[in-house]
Amino acid sequence: MTKWSEQLPNTDYFQLLTPDGELNGDLPDLPEETLLEMYRSFVQTRVYENKIMKLQRRGELSIINRTLGEEATGLGTLAALDPGDWCFTGYRQAAGLFYWDYPLELPIASLMGYEPETIDKHLEMDWESPINFTPTYVPLAANIPNAAGSAMYDSFNQNETVTLTHIGEGATSEGAFYEGMNFAGVFEPPLVVICQNNQWAISVPARRQSGSDTFAQKAEAFGIPHDRVDGNDLFAVYKKTREAVERARKGGGPTFIECVTYRRGEHNTADDPGVYRSDEVQEFWEERDPVERFEAYLRSENLVDDGTIQDLEQEMRERVDQAIETVRNLPTSEPSQMFDNHIRTQSWNERHQREELGAELRGDNPFVDFNGEGL
Amino acid sequence: MSGKLENHDLGKTEEMNLLNAINLGLHQEMERDEGVRLLGYDIGPIGGVFRATEDLVDEFGKDRVLDTPLSEEGILGVSVGLAMRGERPIAEIQFMGFLYPAFSQFMYSLAKMHKRSGGSFSIPVTVRLPFGGGIKPSEYHSESTESYLIHTPGVRVVCPSTPEDAKGLLAASVRSDDPVMFLEHKKMYRTTTGPVPQDPYTVSLDDARIVSEGSDVTVLTWGAMVQQTEMAAAEVDADVEIIDLRVLAPLDVETVLNSVRKTGRCVVVHEARRTLGLGAELSALISEYSLDCLKAPVKRATGYDVHFPGHQTEDAYLPDANRARSAIEAVMAYEF
Repeated sequence: MTKWSEQLPNTDYFQLLTPDGELNGDLPDLPEETLLEMYRSFVQTRVYENKIMKLQRRGELSIINRTLGEEATGLGTLAALDPGDWCFTGYRQAAGLFYWDYPLELPIASLMGYEPETIDKHLEMDWESPINFTPTYVPLAANIPNAAGSAMYDSFNQNETVTLTHIGEGATSEGAFYEGMNFAGVFEPPLVVICQNNQWAISVPARRQSGSDTFAQKAEAFGIPHDRVDGNDLFAVYKKTREAVERARKGGGPTFIECVTYRRGEHNTADDPGVYRSDEVQEFWEERDPVERFEAYLRSENLVDDGTIQDLEQEMRERVDQAIETVRNLPTSEPSQMFDNHIRTQSWNERHQREELGAELRGDNPFVDFNGEGL
Repeated sequence: MSGKLENHDLGKTEEMNLLNAINLGLHQEMERDEGVRLLGYDIGPIGGVFRATEDLVDEFGKDRVLDTPLSEEGILGVSVGLAMRGERPIAEIQFMGFLYPAFSQFMYSLAKMHKRSGGSFSIPVTVRLPFGGGIKPSEYHSESTESYLIHTPGVRVVCPSTPEDAKGLLAASVRSDDPVMFLEHKKMYRTTTGPVPQDPYTVSLDDARIVSEGSDVTVLTWGAMVQQTEMAAAEVDADVEIIDLRVLAPLDVETVLNSVRKTGRCVVVHEARRTLGLGAELSALISEYSLDCLKAPVKRATGYDVHFPGHQTEDAYLPDANRARSAIEAVMAYEF
């Protein structure tokens, strides 16, 4: 069977925490309280993803893209924002969303197939997002020109707001990446683009995406400053993103940051990496686990111990179970909601098609209108 | 509610061509709302390749009349981003035939973001698209591919055929919270003139316009074909009801069916290719909902299923008064 051979990445990148959790530079200016919040987000992500993987296998949830091994990139980049900033969200940054207390019920409801209208209507949440999150973007790089537009809005209106957006390394091959980055280079808005290079785009390895030595250097041609960091080092990711966010906020323009990480799991639950890649580099990446690395640092600073970690894991299991129960108790989406939120009119076609769907659901024949006057 | 004969009482009117009506409309909307920003290439100092944006950069500055890179996906995508923050961008795609690089942003973001967000984001972007044939530029500059747009839910598709409608529909499009694809026929820019109310006004984005009432045959058309149909109607021995659809999505089906039920005959005239052109949908609607009133099959006087041809054969491709007249005469002569 033909498989790709795997290579270790070029490790010429910015790093603050060694794989053993030892400081290798100046610690970013983060209070202990924030460090513990970050750790909570890591633990919540692992507990949450383990649980939803089980539910998915039982057929209760749709396809899942988990973040195992790349949690530090989502977390470190999103933690670098301030309330009021904007994030044009990708789909593999769960720990960063949880850092801002993003309700677990939202992704769970989405995975259970609820329409956004049902979630809005029936899910009671005591949470106002500090960050302006857009809907999760699925089409690759489609968020880049939209995020550039959002950042340009803040330049034109002289706001001190920053827009951040995430893509993978595969998305840097899409046209939308070039067109969006090109606008950012020309108009220099307060935009930070994160390339979460996890080495794999489903079954296609990073070296098949580009002839560039690094993904970071792609920004060079747009005239956009760029960095390349160890994406499994929370401190490195946070520090470089924070610098970019602060520079953008002061009118210093956009930044592109490649976070080098690795997708240890499958692309999603419909994927089987055993078909196309061998395990030869798994050990290298397991040794560089972002959560264990950060935990080792926190232990060395006496900020966590076995007891607090166990308590935290238990708390998160309960939170996840509670969220799942809440979503299970939501009423299912009304089929007619598929017609909502298109254009703001009740066109003849919309009225008639709503009626036809209603008739079909009632068991009536929807095709008996021969004069256009309705059923 | 639909298809009324228009009778604006909007004060002073001036005779203008369609291009100047659009320029005036852009000017007034930009003056009315600071969130209206133009994006496109060649729209600044040169005033657009057709001059639709002439003088606007002098009046409103380079940040509001934004000359962009040659980047349709970027223009549309950045416009969506601005709209997500509450602005009302007007994007210009220099020719409709240049829209295709932007198709992903059209589908993923412009048309879908409102639905995807459960209604929490609105995308009030107006995309201006010079379209249509008859000015002999070259192959990529003449097509009418509105079907791609009409087939997409979540967007309005608008196409004025008079200077008065151009200004009023443009204002309505800019003020609408829906994304609007706004088709401007290039050949009509300077050749179609008419009285245009000088004060700001809007024209409904839900209704077709009955150009002339008649009892024998309904002709459904839009854009430059409205005028060709009027010329044909003057030459045939039949009382022709001409309907300028002017809003291609969502369709004013009620006006269409009421008319066909009255006349019992229908011809569709459009520049677009025939297969899956809007004429196909109109013909299907009429057969589904008015078959028992029909005295003849619906006929479609359209372009052919070919890529838009070169200069020498362009006239043979494009429908005109002659082709419209033949179709009208054919359905008038038909007997079951």
